[in-house]
Amino acid sequence: MNENMKKARDIITSYQGKPLRIMEVCGTHTHEIFRLGLRKLLPEQVDLISGPGCPVCVTAIGFIDEACWLALEKKCIICTFGDLIRVPGTKMSLAGARAKGAEVKPVYSPLDSLAIAEENPDRQVVFLAVGFETTTPSACITVKKAKQKGLTNFSILTANKTMPNAYQALVGSADAFLYPGHVNAITGNAVCQKLCNEQGVSGVVAGFTAGELLTALATTIRLLEKGEPFFRNCYPRVVKDEGNLSAQKLMQEVMQPCDSEWRGLGVIHDSGMKLRSEFADFDARIKHDMPNIVGKPNPACRCGEVLQGKCKPSDCKVFGKGCTPLHPIGACMVSDEGACSAYYQYTEHE
Amino acid sequence: MCVGLSARVVRVEDGTALIDASGAQREVSAGVLEDLEPGDFVMVHAGVAIAKITDSDENETDDLMENLS
Ligand code: SF4
Repeated sequence: MNENMKKARDIITSYQGKPLRIMEVCGTHTHEIFRLGLRKLLPEQVDLISGPGCPVCVTAIGFIDEACWLALEKKCIICTFGDLIRVPGTKMSLAGARAKGAEVKPVYSPLDSLAIAEENPDRQVVFLAVGFETTTPSACITVKKAKQKGLTNFSILTANKTMPNAYQALVGSADAFLYPGHVNAITGNAVCQKLCNEQGVSGVVAGFTAGELLTALATTIRLLEKGEPFFRNCYPRVVKDEGNLSAQKLMQEVMQPCDSEWRGLGVIHDSGMKLRSEFADFDARIKHDMPNIVGKPNPACRCGEVLQGKCKPSDCKVFGKGCTPLHPIGACMVSDEGACSAYYQYTEHE
Repeated sequence: MCVGLSARVVRVEDGTALIDASGAQREVSAGVLEDLEPGDFVMVHAGVAIAKITDSDENETDDLMENLS
């Protein structure tokens, strides 16, 4: 281990100050920190809490119900990131819809769903567009391509979300945020810097390798010790201050802000993205005349509190008993980035 | 779905880049990264190259730790 990594490790393990709560906003950070064994380095006073940065986990139940409706009532071919398939809706998941005859195809990229639409000209194809600023550009590129190609059998069901207003909703829930590196790669750092300057919210942008996570945690602990609000970019090899300007421009061209429901956080003003009217032909809700569908969460599931760092997955009564990765009750147990699945995989439980 | 894939650019043509991630090659959109050239390293998300990678993580963490007092 090189000297600097040793220094980072020492800062973390030797911390003896007041209790600290650091929020991993991004679900991938939660998983990587567990997987790399970094949690074991933390002294008792440092608590890592999970945040709402797993797009599958924060997707509202009603969205799954809408997708099932398109699949079963409208007989659309549903293309989706694989994680969404087993997320429970009010009555069923997309896997359940599939068992009833629906066609649900996992894709790696929304662009792959265009090929599926071209191969199936007599069927309607819908891509489920979830994700934060990191993933939204791919949905925008896809819609623009569909328009260029003149496809009439393709649309997207949007639940795209943006982080700035979610950070606002979370102010005060932790001493510092580990900001999601790949979101900042697109948006840049202005929002985080402003939160620090104007509201005293501390945080660092973190990368994903062992060295980057150690550095981000050491920086956070050292700067919290000093007591002044701070913002640091600990992932400069990927995240530039201005972000990706072309991606920002593309998102503005194709989509516009809208209110959006977050599992656990409720509806947050202007925290979602929907297609602009110029692209209405590719909006699945408009194209398929969708009724207003409202989902009902399972009352046993505490995903909402888990996503705000208010409780740990292990505080949920059904964690590891009624709710396991094979039989998930809530979204946080399904997704590879979900906090409940991370705790299930990496901690001891009955 | 948010896990990024870092990869080397092999070829760029008409807004599409052929990338190589530890031997596995695939085509991704280069639509939001201008001036991509063969040999560049990029971060890929959902089939789109979203950022250029400008350094190794070791150099990066060395710089950061050396500046942390
Ligand atoms: S353990 Fe299952 S039911 Fe409990 S909060 Fe997590 S996902 Fe929801």
